[in-house]
Amino acid sequence: MLKLNDVMAGYGSTTILHGVSLEVNAGEIVTIVGGNGAGKTTTLRVISSLIRARSGQVQFEGRDITGMKAHKVVEAGITMVPEARQLFPEMTVLENLQMGSFTRHARAHYKEKLDEVVGLFPRVAERFSQQAQSLSGGEQQMVAIARGMMACPRLMLFDEPSLGLAPIVVKQVFDVVRAIAAGGTTVLIVEQNVYQTLKIADRGYVIENGEIVMGGEAEQLIGDDHVRKAYLGI
Amino acid sequence: MPSQKQTTRAPALLRALGVDNSADMRGTLYVLLLLAALLLTPIVVGDDFVYHVFITICLFAGLATAWNIVGGFAGQLSLGHAMYYGIGAYTGMILVNAGITPWIGMFVGAAVSAVVGVLIAYPCFRLKGPFYALASIAFLEVFHVLAIELKWLTGGATGKMVPLQVGWEWMIFRERLPSLIIVFGMLCFTLVVAQVIRHRRLGFYLIATRERESAARAAGIPTVRVRIYAAAISAALVSILGTFHAMYLTFIEPDAAFNLVFSIQIVLFALVGGIGTVFGPLLGAILLVPITEISRGLLGASALGLHGFVYGVILMLVVVFMPDGIVRVLPQRLRAAMDPEEFDDTRGEALDDEAMGEMHPESVKTGERPPVGREVLRVDHLVKNFGGLAVTQDVSLTLREGEVLGIIGPNGAGKTTLFNMLSGFLAADGGSVAVMDANGNVHQPQTPADFVGLGVGRTFQIVQPFASMTVEENIMVGAFHRHPGVDAARAAAREIAEELGMARYLHEEARNLPIGGLKRLEVARVMAMRPRILLLDEVMAGINPSDLLEAIRLIKAIRDTGVSIIAIEHVMRAVMDLSDRVVVINSGAVIAEGDPETVVRDEAVIEAYLGKEHGNA
Amino acid sequence: MDLVFTNIVNGLMLGALYAIVSVGLTLVFGIVKVINFAHGEFLMVSMFLVYLVTTFFGVHPYFSLILVLPAAFVMGMLVQRLLIEPLQNSDEHIMIFATVGLSIALINLMLLIFGPDILNTPSSGLRQPVNIGSGMFLTGQLNILICAIAVVGGIHLFLTRTQLGRSIRATGQNRSAAQLMGINVSWIYMVTFGIGAACVGLAAVLIAPLYPTSPEVGQYFVLLSFVVVVMGGLGSITGALVASMIIGLVDAFAGFYLGANVKDLVVFGIFLLVLIFRPQGLFGGARNLSHVS
Repeated sequence: MLKLNDVMAGYGSTTILHGVSLEVNAGEIVTIVGGNGAGKTTTLRVISSLIRARSGQVQFEGRDITGMKAHKVVEAGITMVPEARQLFPEMTVLENLQMGSFTRHARAHYKEKLDEVVGLFPRVAERFSQQAQSLSGGEQQMVAIARGMMACPRLMLFDEPSLGLAPIVVKQVFDVVRAIAAGGTTVLIVEQNVYQTLKIADRGYVIENGEIVMGGEAEQLIGDDHVRKAYLGI
Repeated sequence: MPSQKQTTRAPALLRALGVDNSADMRGTLYVLLLLAALLLTPIVVGDDFVYHVFITICLFAGLATAWNIVGGFAGQLSLGHAMYYGIGAYTGMILVNAGITPWIGMFVGAAVSAVVGVLIAYPCFRLKGPFYALASIAFLEVFHVLAIELKWLTGGATGKMVPLQVGWEWMIFRERLPSLIIVFGMLCFTLVVAQVIRHRRLGFYLIATRERESAARAAGIPTVRVRIYAAAISAALVSILGTFHAMYLTFIEPDAAFNLVFSIQIVLFALVGGIGTVFGPLLGAILLVPITEISRGLLGASALGLHGFVYGVILMLVVVFMPDGIVRVLPQRLRAAMDPEEFDDTRGEALDDEAMGEMHPESVKTGERPPVGREVLRVDHLVKNFGGLAVTQDVSLTLREGEVLGIIGPNGAGKTTLFNMLSGFLAADGGSVAVMDANGNVHQPQTPADFVGLGVGRTFQIVQPFASMTVEENIMVGAFHRHPGVDAARAAAREIAEELGMARYLHEEARNLPIGGLKRLEVARVMAMRPRILLLDEVMAGINPSDLLEAIRLIKAIRDTGVSIIAIEHVMRAVMDLSDRVVVINSGAVIAEGDPETVVRDEAVIEAYLGKEHGNA
Repeated sequence: MDLVFTNIVNGLMLGALYAIVSVGLTLVFGIVKVINFAHGEFLMVSMFLVYLVTTFFGVHPYFSLILVLPAAFVMGMLVQRLLIEPLQNSDEHIMIFATVGLSIALINLMLLIFGPDILNTPSSGLRQPVNIGSGMFLTGQLNILICAIAVVGGIHLFLTRTQLGRSIRATGQNRSAAQLMGINVSWIYMVTFGIGAACVGLAAVLIAPLYPTSPEVGQYFVLLSFVVVVMGGLGSITGALVASMIIGLVDAFAGFYLGANVKDLVVFGIFLLVLIFRPQGLFGGARNLSHVS
């Protein structure tokens, strides 16, 4: 479904990704594991075209989407739930969700998606008319995920969804991600909470210094010595 | 790799001006040639109009160079500098009419301007970018109105003339040569001042403050004071040139003396030449003044607005196509001459992590570990609220000499907030932080400067390099804390770089370092201050797992020199290995404390931070 | 008492004038995060356009709206596209110089074309005085007051009730998140700049019949716009309206009791006090402090 081929990217004069290649198949949950600054977030930002790849290709459903404008990528069916929520703070929760279904395709399915989201996040529905910035961190994360779902994506990218959340909320977030995948949306997730992520993922990649150094079944990675030492702290 | 710089030593006088190697000496030569041409061309040509053009060049070059001290080095975009020009012009003019020579008047004007500069800089120093610019315009307008209103002093809107008296004493001449000599002298003086500031501690402090104010404060820089110094010096220099120009024009009026467009012109020359460089403004004035003066001379009133239009268009083209000014697009050799310090040995290309890999300390000295000593830091019942949310609730901890205290906890638990209170960046709402000095006396520091003074150094979780400075200059900013002299600071910086295995990258601009290198630079900068207590905020983050061991050894080596360390860390491996004691924080409160092995088995810790599965695994 | 009433009427009329000029500036700042130092020159150029259209076709000045409004809109879009967007990621100071450069270029371009003389757009009955008790104002001024309130209300509705308006707000609140929603932010920026300029175009149509047109006219208004916009809280449109009225009243009273020049001193004094002590504006909370450290 998604295929990265030898992607190089960075900010200013700094190169972060030195040729990243990976694949995500339809219906999978795939995770990218790595230290801070290894290039996880940058990879997601390249896929969603928030930054431009210096070289290499990004293919989605057979189409080359490298260098496509960010808003076109959303129309193509990829939505990212960004790190640290990134809600529109001075808009209401409902307005945030409306912005989520901005594309023409999403707007056509606005009603049914909204029902689906309300079903999944009853708490969010209670807060519809509140300003997004007045919500707690956990609630904001739920709104961010709900907002992402409103775009009717076929591939959802999650960037550190559990960041800064209480452990109990973290568990809910992972449940939601699993539910989204079960609903037929493909998921690519980046997380510092490596163990829990690998537990829900089908496959995973390990990224170090902007290069994929390892990839495989999630189970296999959990058992891997290097991964256990470096990322699970065992 | 010992740099070639040390092989050719420049004479002491030149070195005082920041000329300390052969490249710099060549640069000095170019600049001197340029200046000589500026003085000699009109003398040789002998035409009155040519004299006028060159006098105007010198005037604007001087004004732009002086502006650059505030606008470039300190990064505060004043669009109101004409007010100091006006103050100088009016002070000189008023005193001349009272029978006092402008040679005295210009210093009186400079003093007044410096005071005004300080009075403006103090309340405005927090304002950034467009807001500082707006404030400076408003101040300019205020002076404009004052010049019109205070008729008894300024002659009101009609302006003021010099009395008819000619000669050196009055700075008024029939021929042009003496005026050229005077303004040329003023230009040279201004250039020397700018050059000295740039290459002394003040210059480093100004640029560091511009680049990252919080990091500058953490390095013990009195950020407010250095900006006030810069404002005063810049205002005084502009004012002196203003006095000269009033005598040269023999007439001033409020609309011309306190003119926004005049202010903008000054900035334009600096921008075209290269903001923040010492000689860029000179270059900008040399390039632009003739164009406009000649077009004005040739077309006269028939093309009213033409030169203004050209200025505006040039301004837009420059910012779009060469925002760093002419200096940055000069051929390398010339560029090195005009802007030696900035140029340095920068290769201008990004280092990748592989290159940084070689930076690892080949042999970190691991000496005998001294025993853990007495208490050096004590935190009692610290409380901090942000808008009703208790970010820190009743945190107490102690640190002993030579000890490493690890702090762990989930993101958002309040670890960095705690650090901010332990370094003076945040004031606590309750509780106290006590630091013991080297003699064991107890202090209660408040500001970052207090903490730095007691030997508390910190790094930032989000690295805060002074991006446009080289690695060496970054470390020097820390080193200045103990070594006020440039040479001593440079030597200390090199020593630290050597210790941390960064010696090869001394002349690399910080912006080109990868994240791992920047983390190391944070440590290097704080180590250059030789702190007694070191606060490390996630310095291991971003370091490759494979390089973790080296980094851990490095911290141990620092510890073994007797430094006490508090480290916030997520990398459990490092926490377990380094810490003598671990404090676990969750939701702003300490939930566990003890030796690492005990803490990771603690039920509450597993629940809150490590996760159930971690405990079972 | 009569004098007070006269000054209040005057003040409100002046306030309306400042408000209609400032709305576009604060909108552009709130969304694109650019302080447009050439804002006054948008007004000036539009006023010249009103003059030309009115005298050339011999129509009522308000008719020129048909031409001036789209022209101003396009001018705003072009400036955003050609000057601001290429500098989107540069330092703050670069952006200041860009718009300052534009401002100088436009002033002098008009000076080149029209010379320094003052031009007067036909007033077509808009200078007709209306008396209320001791207060007196011109019909044109009343129109400005009505339009200022209508524009502020209209923009508020547009931003909250329409999909385009909501995407403009979203872009202003979080640019990259807006991109992730599928919003074409560079288009939104262009539209926003265009709307900001169109507001100024409307202001020009209303102002030209009442005030003389000259290359420097924008400078006069823009400084007051900055005062109003900062006082109202940058980006806050209703804040700007209220601040305009306050400054209008200050202007009227200070002008009456202290004289024209000292009045400027008072206004700039207030401006500096606000800038230094309440950089978030008189009404804003602690948010929106991106411009101070």
